[in-house]
Amino acid sequence: MSKAAFPVNDLLRRKTQTSLTLISLTVCVASTLFLLLFSDQIVFGITSIAENTLTVGYWAIFSNFLLFAGILVFAIGAVIISFITFLMMSQRTRDFGLIKAVGCPNSLVFGYFLTELLIVLFLGCVLGIALGCLIDYAVINLGAFQVFQKTPNFWYAPLVFVAFFVFGLIFGVRPLETAARLSSTAAISSMQYFGLSEGRKFKALSKSRLTMKIASRSLFRRQSVTVRIVVFLSIVFILLTVSIAGSIIANNTTTTWVEKAVGKDTLLVGHKNMGSQYISLLLKFSGAEEKNDFYYFDSNFALTEDVFQQLNGISGIANFEKRFVYEGHIQEVMNFTYSESSTIPVGDHREAASLIVGVEPKKILSEWFIEGRFLKNGNSSDAVIGDSLAAVTFEMPLLQSFRMQNATLNIVGVCLDPINNGIVAFVPFETLKSLNNVSDPNIMLVQLESSANQETVIMQMQERLADANMDLKVFELNGALEKNLSFLGATWTVIMFLPVFSLVAATLCLIGYLVLAIDEQRHEYAVLRVMGTKPKAVVTILAVQSLIILLPSIAIGIAFGVIITLMILMPHPVVTSFTIIAISGWLLTSLVGMFLLSLWPVLRFAKKPILKIMS
Amino acid sequence: MPMKTSDFVVTTYSLTKTYQLGEMDVEVLKGIALNVTKGEFVVICGPSGSGKTTLLNIISGIDRPTSGKILVLGQDLAVQDEDFLSDFRCSRVGFVFQSYNLVSTLTVAENVAFPMEWIRKPEAEIETRVIELLETVGLQHRENHFPAQLSGGEQQRVAFARALANDPELILADEPTGNLDTKNGQKIRQMLQILKAKGKTVIVATHDPEIMQLADQTACLEDGRLTSQSE
Repeated sequence: MSKAAFPVNDLLRRKTQTSLTLISLTVCVASTLFLLLFSDQIVFGITSIAENTLTVGYWAIFSNFLLFAGILVFAIGAVIISFITFLMMSQRTRDFGLIKAVGCPNSLVFGYFLTELLIVLFLGCVLGIALGCLIDYAVINLGAFQVFQKTPNFWYAPLVFVAFFVFGLIFGVRPLETAARLSSTAAISSMQYFGLSEGRKFKALSKSRLTMKIASRSLFRRQSVTVRIVVFLSIVFILLTVSIAGSIIANNTTTTWVEKAVGKDTLLVGHKNMGSQYISLLLKFSGAEEKNDFYYFDSNFALTEDVFQQLNGISGIANFEKRFVYEGHIQEVMNFTYSESSTIPVGDHREAASLIVGVEPKKILSEWFIEGRFLKNGNSSDAVIGDSLAAVTFEMPLLQSFRMQNATLNIVGVCLDPINNGIVAFVPFETLKSLNNVSDPNIMLVQLESSANQETVIMQMQERLADANMDLKVFELNGALEKNLSFLGATWTVIMFLPVFSLVAATLCLIGYLVLAIDEQRHEYAVLRVMGTKPKAVVTILAVQSLIILLPSIAIGIAFGVIITLMILMPHPVVTSFTIIAISGWLLTSLVGMFLLSLWPVLRFAKKPILKIMS
Repeated sequence: MPMKTSDFVVTTYSLTKTYQLGEMDVEVLKGIALNVTKGEFVVICGPSGSGKTTLLNIISGIDRPTSGKILVLGQDLAVQDEDFLSDFRCSRVGFVFQSYNLVSTLTVAENVAFPMEWIRKPEAEIETRVIELLETVGLQHRENHFPAQLSGGEQQRVAFARALANDPELILADEPTGNLDTKNGQKIRQMLQILKAKGKTVIVATHDPEIMQLADQTACLEDGRLTSQSE
């Protein structure tokens, strides 16, 4: 036999082991590539759905989430690749010793096995890349995902190929180097494989404790493999926790921000045209368009003191808030900050068209997630700006100010408000009065008492408003709020496909690991079967092994996942007891699902005839 | 006086076993008829590939015949399910392999105790029995070592101790001295002699002429057929 033919023939002879390794490698490379391509297409999909929608702050939460999921997906793939190649080559230590024993030089045997590793790795990576592209093509062309259709970023393919090939090579060569350093007898001995020490003094055990002992001993003897699978599963559970907890918390938090900014059960009173325009501005968040050439200063929009008098006596109204809304022009004012005795310029002289909302600071009905503080009574030159305006027009908004109609206003806060997609500045109404020479607000927000019958109050308000001005109307903001929230929910649903696919891929990789691990220990289990262990007892032993590695992994994964979610992805989370129950429910379902699916290869193995396992 | 079926520990009739190798059928056992009575020491001999191991595997319930009948300790093994066969192997049959086949993750004492723990014998009884068996095979000083730390001969002695743990009615040994040197082989032969003296039913597949001398019955297999049977 020629030297080159040995590795190929050896791989072909060991059909089961070669095909198992090849399948595991292919699945791992394919799933990683697919998930990276898919996340790229999700970003594209959301961008195209959300073009001119969402504020910068909300969009940042989504993109952080996708970026983190992408990193974790890549890490999972890298760990599983290193694990598969390590396991594959560790199993050859004995063969290494045998070939050396018959007189083959060390370098030649090393070359044989290195060639085998290169062949399997190359084939696994090539097949994985092809399969990954194929899955991506198939999934994107399914009805539900057609919005993501774009030319895939094929740069991911060489990136995944090179990275995974190198990972696989590094971790596959390590056991070969160890085997090369050993003498033939040491390599052949099972002492080398199990790294044994003397056991504890013998004590008879019950059947259940014996099951536990066999399961745990198998894991602890194969320490490096067990550590790798725990690391792999921990990363999977970090991804899972970040996906599940992160998305539930982020969804709840963003929903709460929108709800509080818009106001739940809040009514809007204003001229029919002005009211419609305000609602359009609110709905820009979810893709609606406002009238571009709307004239906000129309004298018919003014809500005079008469109107408030008309509404004053209606029972069920808790609070009023007067606002003056118009589109204006702002200009960034450059500022300076001090750092280690030097002066650093902050900002430029950028300009932007923005929605200007005049408010009475003390009577404000909305609550915002705010960085900095809100307006105070008496500080007429303060302003709070929306997150999109802050991101687009300012460098360090809280250190800066802006000019508007010859007035300079200091930015004291940046808030998340869906109105006009966050391109908004809240300034004291009193300041606007003098700047624009207006005296009356053009909209009024009304908050009802929680016990009030909304329909009755609206009817009463409509009747009284009609007496003052036939064009005045009462608008419910709940409809706009619902549309914005469902848009937010739909965006999260799209993003949630990534963790779902990641979970499927991780489960496939876990099944691949179990198949390899069972194959590695099959002789041991066959002996147990010969000695009278029933097939279901073998299932129990393997299930206990699966649980032993799943439980610490989930503990590590959830701990790190929660830290990442709360400290990096969602620094100001809204967590209710319902959120915790929902997260626990999802995580528990995933854990149970993964555990049950991991039993599939175990059940198949247990059904095999003893001699087939032993052969 | 003619013997009744119930007097036999093992009875086979027209036993065949065929394996499929690719598209080819390989008939390993061809119409084997063998009767083993209680307390008999039977040697199965024959060249490599003649079907000795397959016959032992079928008698122990590890494998099933393709056709024919097999009764072991009164049980028709061909029709029993896997759970029954597992219990049967654990409590009524002791099996010794040529390649020892100890559980590498269990210590010597744990390997011996395993079949007793599996059928839930009282712990005190198990501990006494393990000490007794390890003394019998001369390995009491190795009780906390793992199989990989033992020599081949020592591992085979542990395998014997394990096979005897539940005091089975039938002991099967597949080339028990095949992998051993003369000295260790002698120890195993001594153990087989003790079993014979104790009146145990033993079936050994072997080429070892010294073990053959112990035989009450010798059955020779050639190309899957029983070519000679002597008592």
